[in-house]
Parts: sequence; C-alpha cells; structure tokens
Amino acid sequence: MPPRLNFHGASRSLAIRSRPSIALRQPGIAQVIARRGYAEKEEQQPTGPNQGGGIGHVSEEAADIDRVTGKTPPDIGQGTPVQEILKRDQEGKDKAPEVIKEDIGGAKASAETMTFENLLAMGQMQNVANGGLASDPVATIGHKYGLPELPLPPTSNLHYRYDPVITQVTNLLMKHGKLSAAQRNMAFILNHLRTAPPPTPSPAHPLLPGSPHPSHLPLNPIGYLTLAIDSIAPLIRIRSQKGAAGGGAALQIPVPLGLRQRRRQAVEWILNSANKKNSRGSGKSQFAQRFAEEIIGVIEGRSSVWERRNLIHKSGMSARANLLIMQRRRK
Amino acid sequence: MATPLPLNCWRQKCLSRPFPSTRLFSTTSTKLALPVATKKSGATVKGQKKSARIKSKAPPKSTAKPPMPGERKAMRKRIVLSNTNALEVDGLVDLSREMTGSLQNHAGKVVGLEGATVDGLRAVEAFKTTQGWGLFRRPAVLIREESVQLGRRLVGVEQGKETLRVVVDGAKGTGKSMLLLQAMATAFVRGWIVLNVPEAQEVVNAVNDYAAIPGTTPTLWSQPAYTANWLAQIAKANGPILNTLKVSQKHNLPITVPSDTTLTRLCELGARDSDAAWPVFQALWSEITAPGRPPILMAVDSLSYIMDLSQYRDPDFNLIHSHDLVLVKHLTDYLSGTRTLPNGGAILAATSRSHAPVSLSMNLAITQQVERQKGEEITERDPYERKYDQRAESSLKGVEVLMLKGLSKVEARGLMEYWAASGVLRQRVDERTVAEKWALAGNGVVGEIQRGALRMRI
Repeated sequence: MPPRLNFHGASRSLAIRSRPSIALRQPGIAQVIARRGYAEKEEQQPTGPNQGGGIGHVSEEAADIDRVTGKTPPDIGQGTPVQEILKRDQEGKDKAPEVIKEDIGGAKASAETMTFENLLAMGQMQNVANGGLASDPVATIGHKYGLPELPLPPTSNLHYRYDPVITQVTNLLMKHGKLSAAQRNMAFILNHLRTAPPPTPSPAHPLLPGSPHPSHLPLNPIGYLTLAIDSIAPLIRIRSQKGAAGGGAALQIPVPLGLRQRRRQAVEWILNSANKKNSRGSGKSQFAQRFAEEIIGVIEGRSSVWERRNLIHKSGMSARANLLIMQRRRK
Repeated sequence: MATPLPLNCWRQKCLSRPFPSTRLFSTTSTKLALPVATKKSGATVKGQKKSARIKSKAPPKSTAKPPMPGERKAMRKRIVLSNTNALEVDGLVDLSREMTGSLQNHAGKVVGLEGATVDGLRAVEAFKTTQGWGLFRRPAVLIREESVQLGRRLVGVEQGKETLRVVVDGAKGTGKSMLLLQAMATAFVRGWIVLNVPEAQEVVNAVNDYAAIPGTTPTLWSQPAYTANWLAQIAKANGPILNTLKVSQKHNLPITVPSDTTLTRLCELGARDSDAAWPVFQALWSEITAPGRPPILMAVDSLSYIMDLSQYRDPDFNLIHSHDLVLVKHLTDYLSGTRTLPNGGAILAATSRSHAPVSLSMNLAITQQVERQKGEEITERDPYERKYDQRAESSLKGVEVLMLKGLSKVEARGLMEYWAASGVLRQRVDERTVAEKWALAGNGVVGEIQRGALRMRI
C-alpha cells in the first residue's frame, strides 16, 4: 500500500530522534563491510553530540530535566511534535525550515512547489513521524490495544481458553462430534451447580483433603465439578496380564494412572451412572440435569460411583503382591 | 375332535369307539410308518427367515414413579426468579414511582424490582425462561438508554392522557422482551392497569376453542377459553388496583353481576364461565376506560404472528385473518390508532427475531417508519411481491418504532459489574474485559454478552 500523503500534516507530528531516516536496503552487506579483523587496531567510532553516553535527543533531554526538577516528563514512548518544541523555543522557531514555518503561520504550500520528489520525501517524513522507518509506512502511533501483560495467562491461547477440567469433561460429554451441544450441556451443568442448594458431604465418603467449605462450592461451579471428579478419580487401574500367573492364567497387576487418565475414568463412571437415571422433566437439557445431579450425588456421598472406586482400590491392594512377581520375572 | 357317529354302523362297538372322520389310504398300520423326521436346528425351510434371530430383550422396566400428567411440561416452563446461592448486591435500589420519572439518573445501572412488582410481572407472564432470572438473588433490570427514553414517554402520556403506540424492534437478543418487561414494571409501580399477551403465537395458532360472534359483519371470532384465562391473569396481576374499583355502569351480561362488585370480582366471574368471558371483558374494558380510571398498558410479544392469517378456519375452510379474531382486533385497533385510551396509556408490541414467521408488511412498515423518523428517503413496496398484507400494513401505519441496538460500553460495564457483585461472573470487570465481551457480542448485543459471560465462557 502506498503511504498516505498528507503534506499539511507531514510536519505536524514530526519527532526529533536519532534514527536513520532511510532504512538500509541490504543490511547483510552492511554487516560484511563493518566486519573487522581481530588483528586490526580498534577504530574509534566518530561520536556526535547525540551519540554515545552524551545527552539524548531533545525529548530525552527534556524528560531528564523534568525528572530532576520533579515535573511530569514528556512521554518518550511517543514522538514529541515539533510544534510543541518550537512553542517553548523562540530561537528554534526562527531557524525552523520553511515547511514548518508555513505550517505554524498557517500559510498553505502552493501546489506548484509540490513536486513528486517533495511528496515522496513528505511521505517518508510522515512515516518517521509515525514511529517507523522512512521506507515502511506505519499505520498508527503506538499500540491500539496496548501491549499484553507478560507472562501471558495459560488461558490466552485459543485452544486452551477454558479450564482443563472443563475442556476434558466437555469432550467426554460430546456425542457424534457435536461439540457445541456438549458445550451447551456443560454450561447447563455449571449453572445447575450454581443454583442448586449447597451440598452436605457425608463423612463416610470424605472428599479431597483441603476442599473448601461446601457452602462455598455453588458460586465456584468449576471448583465444584473438579472437586467431585478428583474425589472419586481412581489412583490405579487393574491390568490383567495374560499367562503371567503360569499355565495361561491371567495375573492382575495394578497400574498407576496419570491425572488426566484418573479424571477420565471418574467422568466415565459418572456418565454411566447418569445415563442409567430417568429424566424427570422434558426438553433438551435433561441429560445435563441428570449429570449435574450425579455430581451433587458424588459430593454428598450418595452416588454408586464411590463403590466402584473402592472396589478398584481394594483389588489393587490385593494385586499389589503381583508386582513383585513381575519384577522377579523381569530379572 | 368328536365326530358325529354314523347311524347305520354295523358294529355295536363303534358306539363307544367313534370312527375317524378321514380314513387313511394305506391299510398298513401307522405304527410301522417311519417316524416324522425332526428338523435340524440349522436347516432352513422354504418361507422361513434365513437371517439369525436375535432375541431382543425387553427394555428394563423402571420401578420409579412416572411423572404426573403435565409435570414434565411444568418443569420445562418453570420460572425461577431467585438463586439463594447468589450474593445480595449492596446498594441495589428498587424501581419506584419517583424513580420512573427520572430514570436518566440510573442510566447504565441495574435496579431491582420490588416484591409487588415481581408478583404482577409474574402474573402477566412477563418473565421468560430464556432470560436467566434463576442465576441471581432477586430480579433486577438494567436501565439502558432506551429504557430511559421509554420511561419518559410513559410518564408523559400519563400526564397528557395520550395513547403511546410503539413497536419495539431489534436484532435477536437485543432485549426487546426485556424492554417490554421494564415498561410493564414501570406501569405497575405507577399504578397503571397492565394487560399482557405474553406470546402472540398462542392467540393465533388454533390451539384454543373459537366461536363466531353473532351479528357481526364481517364475522368476528371470539376465543372463550383464552379470554377466560386472560381475564384471570388480569385479575391476578392488577388485583391491588382493580380491588379498589367498582362496577359503575349498566352492562348487558349473560351472567348476573351484583351492582357494587369490584372489578377483580368481575374478572373472576368472567374467568369462571368461558362462554361469558368475552362479554365480561367488554364490560371490564368499558369500566376501566371510564373517566377517572387509571391509565392502561397493553403489551404484545412476537408481533409478527398477529400480522398475518391465523391458523383458525371458518366454515368454508378458509383461514381466518388474525385481525378477525376479536381479541387481536382489540389490540390492533389501539395499535393502529383507530381507538385511543381516554385516560392515557400505551400499547407496546415487540417483534421476535428468532423463531417467528416473517411478516413482510410488518417489516416494511418498520423500515419505513425508521426512515421517516430519521428523515431519510422512504423504501417503497416491492411491486413484484404478492405476500404483503394490506390489513397488517394499515394497522401499523404511524406507529412509532423503537429500534434496539447493542448496549453501550458503559451499560455493558454496569451489567457486568452487577453480575460480578452477584458472584455469578468470576472475573475482574475492567475496561479490557468489558471491551472484549462487548466486541465478541456483536457490539454489545446484550443476549450475546450474557451468553458469552454466563453461559459459554465458563
């Protein structure tokens, strides 16, 4: 896109800064030229008034002075318009280029003086004023929406925007690849947890240690769901290894599960149990309602899922001896 | 099978041993015959199904008690207005009579609805299941720019005793039904009489009984059961006002009404006898429009249903036009400005943009009116289109149109802050989040903001 040419506004927001006004076309070549052999004597770079550790450019200098004197320094992040500088500098105003003088005086540049080269140069100045290099046009000054705060939150990625438990359970609720329907069900489940009366956990089936008070659960439905799932998630699964017991008999071997595997098993159990229930009402949210009620049942210790978990853990305990056999076998 | 014995039997013994009805052709003893070959289980016989027969198990019968008739529907239609888990919002002021005059002081804020107003609104079925009332501690509404505008007009027509005729339109989820609810809430707190048709579909979709009213040309049709139900609704919703008003005129009614009956009682008598419902409604109407009575608000939702033919049929099996249903005619007469309310009042109609029939005439009338209000060039009727409805068009002539757009960011912020204060939105509400939700909701379409904040984004 060609740069927008606005010759009246070109000098309006001209920043004074020590940057090359024309971008180097082939920076690679420049680097080769600048390369210096180790044996050569180190050359002193010629230093100008605005280079090295000396005083910064006009705006930086003003900022430094203001900082020392305790005034509000100008924003260096944005270029200071020349007009502002000239407003407080009468000498500069007198010696300013004709273009700027005309702009300040309100006089209009005649069209005859605007040759193609002039327009090109004005366009480049505009680009510099906008904070970029002369050869590349910059649309606006600064950032329209600001810079993001770092570190980025884990949910900032499009694919991980929801809580991991929510994503996993939603995917497990999904049937026939209908994610949207599953998400609708998920939203219903969470709203049901929000509006249902606070649960009363049973001492026979203790929840995860360190779980919040039950009265705090409804307003944190994601925590509610996570607590229910993590409380009944089994630690192990039983793998039956064929022929390991000798004579073709299978050997029960407990295998530890990872976090996602544990949760998956718990959700599968809850789903099974919810599918077996009868709907009390009618409409498309009935499955979600049964699922949500099962979650409440888990927290209150009413659900049959607890029995399944205990069974797995019990058989895992008795199969623990088989681990030793397997270890010996491996040696 | 017993066979009749032959009379000329030469052996005496046959009396006790009856002859077989058929004789075998062979004289060889049957005992010597080969036994009948039993079929092998795998062998197929001609005409028999070859495919494997899988025994289908009968589905297990549930021992649970089945739901009572109507219970499932009642559950689906249930309106929950409170969530005891949600937090009480500090500094939530209730909509009051004084406030309705100066709603601009509360623009962009959420105001609560007090108990009496909620009862009235519930009785006229102003709350809908899709509006998410069940998430908050108690019902509250956002005062937006259009609410202020409409509130000011309502107060104006009350003082000037004029009739306000407004059609509320806007895209899906922009809060049209909610604006009707706000208008009704305003009317309740200002002591108006409120009549609401919560869903125009129910009036025209031929699920209620109907009868021709004798002596009308063209024939008008009444809906006794619906009218009776409506009268009960009116009595319940406006009880506090109608209780103080008494029958003051002579009416020719099919039922006997004692002379100083309250209007609530009159409604209840009409509701009890559906055949008398329409005459009683007419009597009620002449009573409440008599001089010195309070203003009236009539509200209709899903307008396009009553801007076309209804589903009812006349004896010639032609579809009856909606405006020939006397209940609809009552509303459209006021909407078109043919009749006016002598004590002041308003008729508000909201369109439905999600699941309603397209009424070309209504859409055209709305477009033209919006252009007229903006002073733009007016769209003409499509000359090649045949589906325009002349009666619908004339009924909407000169109706003011209130076009709803998305919320402003300030309003969106007020709403989201209320959600956060209720503990339902667990997010920091700052300029950034508001701008994000606002932009994702199609520049502040309020239903979409709610969907994104309270339903989808979880």
